[in-house]
Amino acid sequence: MSEPAASPEPAASPEPAGSRPDSTRTGPGRLLVAVYGLFALSASARAAVQIATKFSHAPVAYLLSAFAAVVYIVATVTLTVGSPTARRIAVLSCSIELAGVLAVGTWSLADPATFPDATVWSGYGSGYGFVPLVLPVFGLLWLRRWARRPRTAGTTVTSAPAAGRGVAHDEASTPGQGAADVVTDGRT
Amino acid sequence: MSSVNGAVPTTIIVAGLALAGYALLMTALNRRMNVPLLAATGVLEILLLVEVGIVVAKLAGGERPASLATLIGYLIATPIVPLAAAFWGLMERSRWGPAVIAVAGLVAAVLMVRLHQIWPVIHV
Repeated sequence: MSEPAASPEPAASPEPAGSRPDSTRTGPGRLLVAVYGLFALSASARAAVQIATKFSHAPVAYLLSAFAAVVYIVATVTLTVGSPTARRIAVLSCSIELAGVLAVGTWSLADPATFPDATVWSGYGSGYGFVPLVLPVFGLLWLRRWARRPRTAGTTVTSAPAAGRGVAHDEASTPGQGAADVVTDGRT
Repeated sequence: MSSVNGAVPTTIIVAGLALAGYALLMTALNRRMNVPLLAATGVLEILLLVEVGIVVAKLAGGERPASLATLIGYLIATPIVPLAAAFWGLMERSRWGPAVIAVAGLVAAVLMVRLHQIWPVIHV
């Protein structure tokens, strides 16, 4: 794993490349990958146990659990790799994840009989503190930053406030960093 | 909380939440990973290993939960959480390193509650 050249002191790193995440797995992405990894592990372990020990009890729920696990694994790996292709796959898996949690959440409330046992996405992820609902949103916001300007990455935040409130706020709250970007970036 | 064997899980919940609070404070203050945070994560790891030891001793004593496979999964995953978080957080040289530790603290607390649900003889 390559260490980011980032320094927390903005004054010490006039170059924008030195003061910001250089990959989808660094900066806020570090937290995102950690939570995705956690869900990849827990969802796949849960699905494996459910399918191995009591598949006939709730086949739909358990297959959806397994599907969710695969989506989380793909998202974790692609966010960690962070290449342009990986980011495209990550956008896809985050989108599937968001659609999945909304669809399964609604389905589980409308037709509880199909879900005698919960999945990760039941009740919009209520059994997991609604993290499954929030996670793909943050994932997509994070990936969107990289899609805008693939190589100089992230400078979009200062020039495009619409790039996502969560990310934009994080950036803006880093003292001096946003200002330094404007100067070195030349507001292209 | 009512019995002796509940003392360790309860301590872990308190310690996990305290660690999460401390780590989130470091994130809010824009600090990167530091030695006190790492030491606190180490303390949490030791507490989790003690808890795993207690549960393994119960299993060795012949007691069995309803879902043995799930319990074993939790026993394997539990000690990995702080280690993985420390490893992943140390690679980050920004405020987001402590944020990863905060997740580990919260997860440790949740794991204790889940252990109790899987096997109620593990008191919280």
